[in-house]
Amino acid sequence: MPGSDVLRTMLPEHLLLGGMVVLIVLALLRMSRALALPVAALVIVASSGAAFWLASLGVSTEPFLGQLVVNPVIYLTKGSLLLLALPVLLMSRTEFEDVEFPLLLLCSLYGLALLPSAENALVLFLGIELLSIPTYALIVLAFKRPQAAESALKYLVLSGAASATLLMGLSLVYGATGSMATSAFTMALASGDLMARTAVVLVLLALYIKAAVVPFHAWAPDTYEGASVPVTAYMATLSKAAILVVALRLFGNAVPAGPMVGIMAGLPLVSIVWGNLAAMKQHSLRRMIAYSSIAHAGYLFYAFLGAPEGRFEAITFYIITYSAANLLAFAALPAHANDVQRDAMESLEGLFHRDPMAATLIAVAMLSLAGLPPLPGFTAKFLIFKSVLAAGFTTWAVLGLVGSFLGLYFYLRVIMRMFMSADRGVVPATTGAALSRAAGILCLAATLALTILPGWVLARL
Amino acid sequence: MSEALMLNVILWLPLAGALALLLIPRDKTSEVRAVSTVLLGIQFVLALVLYRAFDGGVDGLQFATNVPWIAEWGVHYAIGLDGANVLLVLLTAFLGPLVIVGATHAIEKDVRLFHVMVLLLQFAMMGAFLAQDLFLFYLFWEAMLIPMFFMIGIWGGARRAYATIKFVLYTAFGSILMLAALIYLAIQLQAQGGVASFAFADLQKVTLPLAVQMPLLGAFALSFAIKVPVVPLHTWLPDAHVEAPTPGSVILAGVLLKMGTYGFMKLGFPLFPDATRQLTPLLMTLSVVSIVYGACLALVQTDIKKIIAYSSISHLGYVMLGLLSLDLVGIQGAIVQMVSHGLVAGGLFLLVGMVYERCHTRELAAYGGLARQIPRYAVFFLVFTLASVGLPTTSGFTGEFMSLMGAFTAAWPQHLDGNNGPLILAVVACTGVVLGALYMLRFALTFLFGPTKTPHGEALSDLSGRETFLLTTLAVAVFWLGLFPNGALQKTERAAKHFQQAVMAAGMVSDAR
Repeated sequence: MPGSDVLRTMLPEHLLLGGMVVLIVLALLRMSRALALPVAALVIVASSGAAFWLASLGVSTEPFLGQLVVNPVIYLTKGSLLLLALPVLLMSRTEFEDVEFPLLLLCSLYGLALLPSAENALVLFLGIELLSIPTYALIVLAFKRPQAAESALKYLVLSGAASATLLMGLSLVYGATGSMATSAFTMALASGDLMARTAVVLVLLALYIKAAVVPFHAWAPDTYEGASVPVTAYMATLSKAAILVVALRLFGNAVPAGPMVGIMAGLPLVSIVWGNLAAMKQHSLRRMIAYSSIAHAGYLFYAFLGAPEGRFEAITFYIITYSAANLLAFAALPAHANDVQRDAMESLEGLFHRDPMAATLIAVAMLSLAGLPPLPGFTAKFLIFKSVLAAGFTTWAVLGLVGSFLGLYFYLRVIMRMFMSADRGVVPATTGAALSRAAGILCLAATLALTILPGWVLARL
Repeated sequence: MSEALMLNVILWLPLAGALALLLIPRDKTSEVRAVSTVLLGIQFVLALVLYRAFDGGVDGLQFATNVPWIAEWGVHYAIGLDGANVLLVLLTAFLGPLVIVGATHAIEKDVRLFHVMVLLLQFAMMGAFLAQDLFLFYLFWEAMLIPMFFMIGIWGGARRAYATIKFVLYTAFGSILMLAALIYLAIQLQAQGGVASFAFADLQKVTLPLAVQMPLLGAFALSFAIKVPVVPLHTWLPDAHVEAPTPGSVILAGVLLKMGTYGFMKLGFPLFPDATRQLTPLLMTLSVVSIVYGACLALVQTDIKKIIAYSSISHLGYVMLGLLSLDLVGIQGAIVQMVSHGLVAGGLFLLVGMVYERCHTRELAAYGGLARQIPRYAVFFLVFTLASVGLPTTSGFTGEFMSLMGAFTAAWPQHLDGNNGPLILAVVACTGVVLGALYMLRFALTFLFGPTKTPHGEALSDLSGRETFLLTTLAVAVFWLGLFPNGALQKTERAAKHFQQAVMAAGMVSDAR
């Protein structure tokens, strides 16, 4: 393939790279304060726009043979994930004004952009690390929060351990199948020998840790609590989506059978139940979202029980919907002079009476996360459980659905606090509120589009 | 405007209205009220036109729209009128504007948000009645929860938080199992017929063994029975009713409860006829228990709202009994009873709300001799009380009488033929009529007659023009259905027959096995 074509097929990544360079130059020229955010926003829009444009051209090729693959569906996934980073960037203005946040975010997004295309296990690993390492720094950036350093360290250690486990698993797969291609996993899963089995379990374990599936979930609430709101939003949505993309690349065509069913359904089920139960008694929205994201990781891994044909679209639709709703909740969260108070449940009390717009946006987000129709959270859940039922796992599906019912209570509690209690008279601060509001509107638009036209979206996945 | 277009307008008008209200400034309450009244008024007029145009002599759907929506899953935007929903659509459209007019004094805070919720609720209820696609039905069915959750939670009484979350959790728990069952059903359809579809008509073609039908019917029945509510799943209802504001109670009793019995008639029983036949004795017994137990509980209440709440449990027991009798008269009676209960309970809740607005207490013992103080109020109160008791010439009589008639000739599964089960149940159900007379007359007696007293000795004002208008409209409907039920019965006859055949025919096959 000629070099210019490679350049073109990887345009989204190149734009991100270019953006990083521009941001560094801006920082050197000491012009970063005012320009960093607009430049980064432009880069993200351009890069996701490029992905959509390449998808519409129907580009389908392998820029580096056996390493990276692109096709319209991959471009669409890439484009949507990158576009979801825009609200994260916009809401960062309430907390950060300098170049660090946009720059680190772009670095991390570069890793994210590689993941849907990865054909080789090492590229996949590279993507995950590129995504995670800037995230450690992003967590520490929340100087204002006392637990920032602690939570960054916690994430660093656990994420590092997960990476090591993943590498071990990958090398065992190579040993068993002699291939580093992502497709080797389906072979490893199907083969019965001990080494392949161990390899699959190790990889799965690493993914479970990174996605905070019970019992490897304990880091998530602490880390989310220590990070600043935009970083928490980023971790709860896009980093989680990235892990699912990785899982899709590795296990996309796998059909779980025998003892694997227990591992691939049992822990996610426990995650659903435990995440939802623990979320009920949280006193901060951030910790609540953390536990609810543990439950959502459960639903997402459930999709691997279904037939491989519908799996990709089910998971992609779910992560887009879930991310849009989660980001909506975080973006609408009013700013507060005291950072710890910002997401305390008490601060939400009577929110509707002092900021009806914010309360309505958060309510929409909660209803979508709870999976109540007609919001797209329901459609997404429907898609996953339909594929699980179609594959014949009736009992697992019913258990999962009943587990998901448990989540309803705490999402509704948030709405009750906002709409049904008296105003506590907390005065909100206003830094970056307009940008944050814009981010909320973007997510609302995405949520509504997914409500009205799920068929249109699904037909393109 | 073609009829099919009109039906779409009936469905979407409230949603459009809800969005339009958001454009009106929050403090312009009279404009908000005017706009929503006019919109729901238009909806009612359109529903009336369609009701008159609806031909009872034709089988199947009329004025239908069917457009693919989520094509990949076989989900269609399919709506239409048939004999099963035509009366309920009219009832919903009829109560809508009355609720808005009745809310003028009951609701004083966040008026715009309240009207948005009423319109959303109206949209979701209409949608659930009109939907002819199971996925669409489920969307509307669940979507109803959201505005009702807000309505009880924001404008409700002191224990509103508890009541509203209990209401949502109860109803949602039933629905989640129904969701699993409906997905299973659609998958079976695809496996058997090769088409992906959620259309009611297609799903009825799925043949399932009895062992599979049982859990599926169980899942659907749990969801519907919670909504009806059938004893022992009824405990959310008194809480929700007592805490809900008057307009909320009217909608809840008037329309929402019918959603459950409609679900049984349209979906639950026809989709799983073999299981229905097997479970008929159990379900009929539960209905009779609901009739008698609900009436007994109503008898001992001291809260006037609770009396009507428990009486609803009793009255909806007749609907279930009529449907399960699988007798044409009984089924028709069930349909009439659904509409009748909507009108009568709606009227009673409005009446209770009116004294509550004046005195702010719902203790029965605090009132007495209202007939001398506010005679016009007393007249309407008696009219609705007697209709609730089932006095001939009122709608309550038509509904209860026909349902009971059906129960006496009920068809039980063949292996149970020859025992006196249906007869015993019907006789026991009749005691519900007596108990009903007892609690309603006791209620009216202490409330309207006896020594004159009000909670704090306040002087009561009689009905205003607005209130008189509301109650007159409802009373006219009650007498219309009581004196001339034929018009309504003709429209529903085909649907009743269709329902009877769908369940009976399959029942025969399974009994023969």
